[in-house]
Formats: sequence, structure tokens, C-alpha cells
Amino acid sequence: MISDREAAKYPFLNDAVTYVETLGLTLENLVDPSYTGVLERGERRVSQAILSGEATVELEDTLTELLSFPVANMFITAMAEEYLFRRYALSEAARAHELLKDEAEERIAKLARLEFGWDLRLVQERVGEKLYRFEAHFKDYLKNAASFREPEWKLVNRLIRNGYVLLTKRDASRLLQEEIQRRIGSLVSKRRRISLPDPLRIRVNNLQKLFDENRSRLTGQALPTKLLTEALPPCIRHAFQGLMAGRRASHMERFALTSFLINAGMGIDDIVKLFASITDFDEQFTRYQIEHIAGLRGSRTRYTPPTCSTLKTHRVCYEPDRLCERIKHPLSYYRIKVRDYQRE
Amino acid sequence: MAEQDRGNEQYITEQFKRYYATEAQRVEAPPEIRRREFGFLSFGGRTMFRHIGFQDPQQFRGYLREYAPAHTYFSAAYYKDPRASMAEKGWLGADLVFDIDSDHFDLPCQKEHDRWTCRTCGKEGKGHPPETCHDCKKATFIEETWLCENCLRAAKYEAQKLLDILIEDFGFQASGELSVNFSGNRGFHVHVRSPSAKELDQLARREIVDYIRGIGIEAEYQGLIARRGRGGTASEQRGWRGRSIRALYDFIAEATPEQIKGLKLGRGASLNLIESRDEILTALMNKQPSRVVKYIDGKSMGKLLEAAVREQASAIDTVVTTDLRRLIRLPNTLHGKTGWLTQNIPIDDLADYDPLTQAIAFTEGTERVFINRAPEIVLSGETYGPFEEESLELPLAVAIFLLCKNAARVER
Repeated sequence: MISDREAAKYPFLNDAVTYVETLGLTLENLVDPSYTGVLERGERRVSQAILSGEATVELEDTLTELLSFPVANMFITAMAEEYLFRRYALSEAARAHELLKDEAEERIAKLARLEFGWDLRLVQERVGEKLYRFEAHFKDYLKNAASFREPEWKLVNRLIRNGYVLLTKRDASRLLQEEIQRRIGSLVSKRRRISLPDPLRIRVNNLQKLFDENRSRLTGQALPTKLLTEALPPCIRHAFQGLMAGRRASHMERFALTSFLINAGMGIDDIVKLFASITDFDEQFTRYQIEHIAGLRGSRTRYTPPTCSTLKTHRVCYEPDRLCERIKHPLSYYRIKVRDYQRE
Repeated sequence: MAEQDRGNEQYITEQFKRYYATEAQRVEAPPEIRRREFGFLSFGGRTMFRHIGFQDPQQFRGYLREYAPAHTYFSAAYYKDPRASMAEKGWLGADLVFDIDSDHFDLPCQKEHDRWTCRTCGKEGKGHPPETCHDCKKATFIEETWLCENCLRAAKYEAQKLLDILIEDFGFQASGELSVNFSGNRGFHVHVRSPSAKELDQLARREIVDYIRGIGIEAEYQGLIARRGRGGTASEQRGWRGRSIRALYDFIAEATPEQIKGLKLGRGASLNLIESRDEILTALMNKQPSRVVKYIDGKSMGKLLEAAVREQASAIDTVVTTDLRRLIRLPNTLHGKTGWLTQNIPIDDLADYDPLTQAIAFTEGTERVFINRAPEIVLSGETYGPFEEESLELPLAVAIFLLCKNAARVER
């Protein structure tokens, strides 16, 4: 049985969720004035996600802290804002990380193994200035670290032997934060219509208003409809110029260019014209491929361009500049540059 | 390559049919055959027959006997319904696969045996074609790519390095989890079948590719740049940490002063690498990389490391491994561009494996062919060619190889 305090600290744990279920709370219960504190804290968890991106830890009243988590989840699901699913999960995972990094190694190991099924062992190895306290199977490491951009997280820069990667306590807590974020993300991102009693509905409306006020700050501006070639990242510019010159391009390079142009808002007819004018491809075939990438055919998935790290792997990344160091997706580069140009 | 002669296609198909009539029985179906997608190409066929599924090995072998495909592929992936369209298949996981193809290498022998012809202006050259034709600036070429024992040795070396990394660093079991195949043409494939590999997503596979190619390696994390409080001896030699020290040692020991200058390192570092080479090598050999710091500044070390790791990394294809739905050649089937076998090799035998003897499928009989042009080829220890506009009676294996490469036609 999980203690109130542990459940309040980590309300996403299976045991904590079961514990809350045994309390058998209903929506009608929540309207009762005795739960006002829970509702307020639930609303604040969401507003903290919107405003700061990190929920605070409030363990003075553990039951309120615990019960406000499913309430906040419900608010997020009811708001049904795709972007908020992610931001809220991140905010709650960052909160958990704050707590995790001060836990004992044994506690961290137990959580990783039992909650998230990691293949993890406790060790004690000092290498240089670092004290490694865990080794995790590379599959568990990669599941969480593969999207990190900092060089210290690249597997090639890690100490790995026989399938196990050495981790410091700091590393392990950071990787667990990813697991937690995914779990909370899947808890809230359900497509579900929830009909809420008025006192709750009012809180959701408040949060919706708060999100609307912050929406453009958080999700960024829409891109212009005409391609701004001056704002292209070096890799896409290189692919683009290569195409113009008739240089042979790898499949990945062509895919990166095409999906980039589509996502940067260039019309399909314009892309077809561009490609057909300078290559020997027949127009029908070119159009078919472009429409496929745009999600108009086949699986109906609209493809986004590969990330910077994928482009590096496939050697499409070309002469990265200083802005490249700050971003991990070519479209982010384009967005920032476009904004700069629009300001001028 | 030029279009296959219709007569050739028919002849090779008949030979493949004859082969599969008796040998299909020995083709091993992949594990979990009912979860795999199959794909086939016929001679002269432009599109692949894919989304094909089989219930059991017998049904699959029946297909080989009936159609004698030029190329036989199966999915590294496992699906709920392999016959459904791509979106409906229901992906359950995939083996981790690696492709090593000497065509992607830059080898001196390719300048001897490979040719290209510009489709537009007819200009010819040797080796890999240029990005665009020097004369007409167009970018489409007819390529005649051949292979020799050099290319295959180079590919095998890369496969051996790959296997070492998979076993030592990733902990895969040499017996049971890893299998290595000669591709039937210019390279090798390695398949990893293990529960931990099966569930890896695309991002994870990309990290593994970067690991094996040494992409993104940074000196700071290899214990090669001492920070305050760091340094001392690197007792830990796990993963790339030990390998990068070996890489540096080999590179510095073998590099000529010209090569070192070519790296455009800091001036002090270049000079030290030439003048204090022995001191640097001793420090590396004693696994005291931090002592190297006084000779080579951090930035130069980064450049040096990048150049050095290439020799220790394995030159795997980046696309094949990161593609979760890839079709890959099935071992012990015929390769339509050579007439040789895609062949499974026990890992212990890889060092002595010689595809140009062991992967030969057509071991008996002869055929008279007219050969347009082909470089020298050594098969089963015998040297044939080079050929130029001549008619010869050749062992069937050689004749079929030349026909598959579309360099000859049957004379009857």
C-alpha cells in the first residue's frame, strides 16, 4: 500500500491511481464545498502548465495534492487542446523530476523497474569526476534519451558495455522524467467528451481563456504562404540549390526538401512545377510522390521534415550555422528566420 | 545499367527455375514466417510484388519453384497482417538489420572495374559517376558496377567491425541473436533477432546507427579533454571510450605529415603531432589520454578524433537500419544481379569466408556466350577475362554472372 505522501509526490504511479480509485470519488462529490481546495489546486496545476511549464510541489496537504492531479487531468482532457496535452505532461513531469533527483538511489531504481519496466542495476563506479550509480539496458536508455539533443546524451558519448549504459543519479532522474511525461501524456490525451457540472465547467472556461491569451506566445505564429528563400536553413538551401543544378541527391535529401517545402506552405502545384522544370522526372510521377508526402495519397499521413539529428545521420545536414546550434528541427530554423525578417 | 536483353531474361529465369526445382527445399524460411511480408522482383519486372504473405515454409518454397524470382525479399518487421496495405499491416516490431554495401565505399579497385556513361552526351569515365557530367552538366548516368575480391574484403572488414560492436557494446549473443549474410552481390547483411532489438523505435535505431558510425562523437566525453577536476587515467574503457583511444593511436601512428596538415588543426597541435609523436603515442598506449592534452588543444582534438574514428567505425548504410518496414534479401535465395546466393555464414566462419567460391550456385555445366565488355573476374579460384567483344564457352557460373550483369548474351 502506498503512503499518502508518496502518492501525493508521484500521483501518476499505478499504486497512486489505484488508491484514488478506491476512494470512489464522483463528479458530484467534487462539487461539494469541502473539495474546493482540491479544485483550486487542480486548476492551478493547469495554469502553472500554461504559464510557467512546471507545476510546483505542494505537499503541505497531501490529500489535496494527490486528488488535484486527476482533477487537473480531467480539466486538460476537457479542454481538448492538442498542444496542452504535451505541455501539461511536461509540466507535471518536471515537477516529478524536482522530487526524484533528491530520492535515494534505491527508490529511483525501484520506480524505474516496477513502474516503467526498466532493466536496471545499481552499481558504484567512478570515472573522472562522475559517480555512476546505475546501469540501464540500452533499450531503456534509448527509449528516453534518443530525442535529447545535447552531445552528452548521444549513445556514442556514453559508457556502454555488454548492453548496459552507465548512469549517474542525475541522468537516471532525467530519463525517468521522460517516462513520466509519456505516461501523463497518454493519461490526458484521450478524445473524450466530458460533461461537467457547472462549478467545474466554470473552471475549465477560465483555463481556456488563460490558454487563449497565451496561445500565440506558446504555439508560435503561422508561417507566411509564400516561401521565403532567404530564411531557409543551410541543409534545405543546399538541397534546393543542388536540385536547381541537377546534382544527384539521395532519397533522404529529396524527401527532406519536399516535406520541408510542403510544411513551409508552398503549394503542391508550385512544387511540382519546380521539380519538373529542372529534372528529368515525368510530371505525373513527381506529382504522385509529392502528394504522397503531403498526405493526399496512400497512408494519408502528412510527413514532416526529418529532425536535425536524422539529417545528420543521413549526411543531409550541411554547414550548420549558429542558429542551427539552437534548434533541432529545420522548420524551427525557418520559423525563427521568418519572424526576424518580418520584424525588419 | 542498360535494360536487360529479353532473351537473357528468359534464359536466366529458366536457369533459376531449374535451380529452385531442386534447391528450394533447402531455403530456410525466416523465423515467424506468418508475421513477415515478402516481396519479389522478376527479371525485367519494374515493380516489386510485395505485401505477400505465406502460411508456412512449404507454401513459400512452392512460390520459389513456380516463379523463380530474380530477387527475394522479406520484411525485417513483424506484422499482424503482412498482406494488408502498409497502413493496415499492424506493426509488431522489427529485427535490427544492417546493410554493408561496398558500392558506398570509395575504393581504388572501383576505378579499375566500374564505369559510367552520361545518358545525355555519352561521355564515359571510370569509378563512381560525378555529381553532374563535366561536359553537359546533366546528372543521369548509365552505370556498370562490378565487384572483385578487394571490394568484398573491404565489405567483410566492415561487417567484422560491426559484429564486434554489437557483441561487445550492445551485448548481443553471437550465437542465437546475430546472423550474418553475404548479400549475394557487393556486401553483407547483419540481422539482430532479440526481444530488446525488436521493440526499438526509429529514433532509437538512428542512435544505434550514429553509434556504429561514430557520428556525433565528442572528445570531451571520451576522456580526451581534461577539465578541471577530471583527467587522470581513464580506467573505464567501455564503448567508444576505449575504441577512440585505439583509433587515435592507430591514426596518429600511421598518418603522414601531409595527412596531419590536411586536417587543418591548430598550428601547435599539428607541429606537436609531428615532433612529439612518440610521446603522444606512449601516453595513448598507457591509456593516459589526459596527458595528450598538453600537445593537442581541445578543438584540434575534436577534428582529429572525427578523422580517426572512421577507421574504427563500421560503414553501415544509414537508411536500411532506420527503416522500420524495410524489405531485405532472404538468405539462401538467388541474387538476380549475379546469379550467386545470398548466403548465411556462421559467425565463426566469417574470417575465412570467400563468397567468390562459396556463394556460387551454378556449379555444373557450361554455356557459350558473346560478351560485350567485362573486367576480370575470379570465381572459385579461376581467373576469367577481361573480355571485349568475344564469344566463349564458359563455366555456367561465369556465363550466368555475365548475363545477370547484362554484359553478355547467350549464343545458341
